[in-house]
Amino acid sequence: MPTSLAVIADSLPYLLAGTLNTALIVSLAMLVGLVLGVVIAVGLVYGRRPVRFLLGLYVWFFRGVPVLALLFLFYFGLFTWLGLSVNALLSAALVLGMTTGAYQANIFRGAILALPHGQFRAASALGMSDLQAIRSIILPQALRLSLPAWSNEYSIVLKDSALAFVIGAPEIMARTQFVASRTYQHLPLYLTAGLLYFLLTWLGLATLKHLEKKLRIPGYSQHGSQ
Amino acid sequence: MIRKILPFLLAVLLLAGGEVPAADTLVNGIDANFPPFAFVDKTGTPSGFDVEAMTLIARDLGVAISHQPIEWDGIITSLLTKKIDVIASGMSITPTRAQQVSFTIPYWVIKQVMVVKKDSSLTLDELQNSKKTIGVQQGTPEAKWLKEEAAAKGYNFTLRYYNSSPLAVEDLLNGRIDAAAMNDAPAKDALARKEVQILGPYGMPDEEFGYAVRKEDRELLDKVNAGLRELMASPEWQTLINKYELKK
Repeated sequence: MPTSLAVIADSLPYLLAGTLNTALIVSLAMLVGLVLGVVIAVGLVYGRRPVRFLLGLYVWFFRGVPVLALLFLFYFGLFTWLGLSVNALLSAALVLGMTTGAYQANIFRGAILALPHGQFRAASALGMSDLQAIRSIILPQALRLSLPAWSNEYSIVLKDSALAFVIGAPEIMARTQFVASRTYQHLPLYLTAGLLYFLLTWLGLATLKHLEKKLRIPGYSQHGSQ
Repeated sequence: MIRKILPFLLAVLLLAGGEVPAADTLVNGIDANFPPFAFVDKTGTPSGFDVEAMTLIARDLGVAISHQPIEWDGIITSLLTKKIDVIASGMSITPTRAQQVSFTIPYWVIKQVMVVKKDSSLTLDELQNSKKTIGVQQGTPEAKWLKEEAAAKGYNFTLRYYNSSPLAVEDLLNGRIDAAAMNDAPAKDALARKEVQILGPYGMPDEEFGYAVRKEDRELLDKVNAGLRELMASPEWQTLINKYELKK
């Protein structure tokens, strides 16, 4: 076996464990982003002016500052300052979650705005409270509409997670570098890392595609909603 | 839907939080891209001269130890913000660093060398005076020294920064840089694996490695110093030096 293959075979369990850590960072980040994104989107569309202003500020900040800077800022700065002892992995997940939350908010906001406003008023006419209308009429439709864009966001966050190596999170990229430094087999190892990322992208997107199909409401057309 | 996701979310949180070492464990931050002093071995476990030495010292002190790979550029920040408690990872004692952290007694003298391709016939003079490009690890004394030296002596080489010396070696082989400046031990490590040669020293004074702790941890500093002195006087120290081929 050539050295490069032997090195890859030797380090595969270590890299696969790193892949699991990457998957952990990304799934946690996407969940945090989902919760934040939905709340922010609803606030941006239906909130009062000061609420809209504050949420706008949040979105503006997290979309404007590079993820790399945010990672340093939170891991070495804010989390420590707040006395939170979060490890690198969790820090990366939270920072990526807050960032994708800002992007997801815009995805959901767009989807909510795409629904005819008459639906909200019809719900009110039926005696639903605003929250009830948002929860059972608006969001179920808006979230379905958002799925294609959301799966896009997944692959972006997945690739951004590679930045977590700068704060020492034991994810794919960091581990690939460690093995490369010991063995000097940079090219085959980075190729392997690329394949592992590809695998995660493919798995995630296939799952989301499946979810899209499964959640489709029979007879409901997204074009015929007017 | 939320009810289905919630247990998963909690499980993820627990898993992600599970790697925090116990409170009484000493955490040693290492640059895992710095063989033979610190690296990650085949099984994924931190290893290397400093890792083993620090483990022996911790055993002597009767405390548990864990070794955590950290990006070198941020390693002092990690120490100061208490992500780690000690840096035992081939760190040169410099006045600038000593302003931020306390160093133990020096345990190793390191020489600074230039590494070039095996078939290269470059001389040091050509490297310094004929617009060559030199790669160096970011955040190291050699990076700082080269920059200051170039300004002081009017050398016209360009510096390229990498986040580890193996990456600089890789780019040297790719032909993007003409030489890589690094410590002699990692240079010898590269020599054993890649088509490179050591051109030799380039005038930077020798440096000494020491272990670093936070300034306020005086007690820890005394303990590590005592442990280090004892280790250096023991035959185990020679065994380590031989094992990692530091004298070759």
